[in-house]
Amino acid sequence: MKIKAKPVTTGVAEGQAIVSRMPIFFTGGMDPSAGIIREPGHDLEGQSVAGRILVFPSGKGSTTGSWQFYAAYKRGSAPKGIINVKAEGVVAVSAIITGTPMVQEPEKDPFEFIENGDLVRIDANEGIVEVEKKQRK
Amino acid sequence: MELNKTQKEMLDGKKGSGARKAMEILVAYGECYNAERLIPITSVHMAGNFPVLLDEGIEWLEDLAQDGTKVSVYTTKNPEMFDFEEAEELRIPKIYQVRQKKIDTALRSLGVTLTYSCHHYLVGNVPRFGDHIAWASSGSQVFANSVIGARSNRDGDHVALAAAITGAIPEWGLHLVENRKGEMLIDVGPLNLDEYDPADYKALGWYLGKMVGMKIPVFVNLPPDMQIEEVKGLLYTLTVTGATGLVHLVGVTPEAPTLEAAFGGAPPSSPEIIASQDKVDKAYIEISSSSDENVDLVIFGCPQCSIQEVQEISNMLEGKKLHPETQLWICTSAWVKTLCKRMGLLDKLGSSGARVVADVGAADGPHLYLREQGIRVIAMNSARGSYYAHNLFGMDTWFGSTRECVQTAISGKWKGTR
Repeated sequence: MKIKAKPVTTGVAEGQAIVSRMPIFFTGGMDPSAGIIREPGHDLEGQSVAGRILVFPSGKGSTTGSWQFYAAYKRGSAPKGIINVKAEGVVAVSAIITGTPMVQEPEKDPFEFIENGDLVRIDANEGIVEVEKKQRK
Repeated sequence: MELNKTQKEMLDGKKGSGARKAMEILVAYGECYNAERLIPITSVHMAGNFPVLLDEGIEWLEDLAQDGTKVSVYTTKNPEMFDFEEAEELRIPKIYQVRQKKIDTALRSLGVTLTYSCHHYLVGNVPRFGDHIAWASSGSQVFANSVIGARSNRDGDHVALAAAITGAIPEWGLHLVENRKGEMLIDVGPLNLDEYDPADYKALGWYLGKMVGMKIPVFVNLPPDMQIEEVKGLLYTLTVTGATGLVHLVGVTPEAPTLEAAFGGAPPSSPEIIASQDKVDKAYIEISSSSDENVDLVIFGCPQCSIQEVQEISNMLEGKKLHPETQLWICTSAWVKTLCKRMGLLDKLGSSGARVVADVGAADGPHLYLREQGIRVIAMNSARGSYYAHNLFGMDTWFGSTRECVQTAISGKWKGTR
């Protein structure tokens, strides 16, 4: 499936999706060494976003988050690409300073067509998201 | 977003790699919020210190500075980890000394004014009413909007630095007059505010912040003689449990001389929140995270202590000595420390066993090494400090008034009454 989205940064990224229906914050909310979400009660608590295409509604929390995201990126623990329902400043700045392909406002509700483990390709140059459903056993 | 000729040249890299990086940040950020253009700013304040920057953040600053990039607007910097004059006395581990030095060198090269202060508005970074500014640090941002009437969004450091380099910020949010109107009426009339001290205002801010969220609250029935430390206590705490950037204190905020002015028209017929003392009392209990009465350290200065606050603590300690197993730190700026020296307060406080520490705040930096030095239970008169020291550094915290904290330092045991 192929849908349109609004580019926030540029570049192309491809990887397995990890999907959260909750806002995410980075300072205190994500361990920069392993990319593990550590906010208690978060739907991704204990899971790593490293190397994945991270799909979530929006950012929240401390504006220092972009420092922590940058550290995670340098340690190889940041997501490869980001799809937000609505981009917010901390996440957008994190993506731009790390060169992470990011899009927002996909033309369809991303939670309806992307599931954990799906292969997702973000083309932030053209504003296109492609999804290949994971193989079911 | 529309860019003028110079801004386009920056984005195309014609003004160096630093200006290009800065413009890329501002464009991505501005487009998130549908800003139509960049507007000139007069003042910038940068917040992050080593605990959030980490080594990678230091490298980012060093990269930015490499190309001879300089800020083009007056820019100050929040506190760091330790007092530059007392690294040895404070037994600062070498690993932190090296890192603070690196940050200092990069900021110096960028042309940032090395205040290491979060009361930068007391030491020279004073915007005027209506000025567009970029102040990172949620506490000073809400102070600028609500007390000075300058206009700043909740920008992070990368945005603030980008604004400092380019001299401009995307025009959205609180930069636009139509977005500065009150959204929620709070009546504090039922509280006995004549008896309130700054700690009470912090407990009030703690409980109301959760209900305010990101809205612009309008406070009515505040006492006309509200002191600046009380105003700061309320505002700085509202941004810990909430994320508001502007608070209209009717009678205090320049844009809110009257209720009608605060709402930009007819106010709501009844308040959304009527403050209650029960909830203020409950906040006191929530803010403290410790159950151990033996206090290792009493630490003041979140935000950094003004000279008036140092004087007040010194008067309370007059002729007294600290408990041998309890330290007392007064965190402040290098300016206030110099003033303390001149006025004999350093010696006076020193004879009681108290210490004035410059260049740090009580919420974060020092806790990195204090924990390693065996400090675990701390007492503070700052709800904001208690929150960060506990949640980011794992300190066990007690929260109370200045007097309760001073008494705690003398007896070694927590003396809070609420």
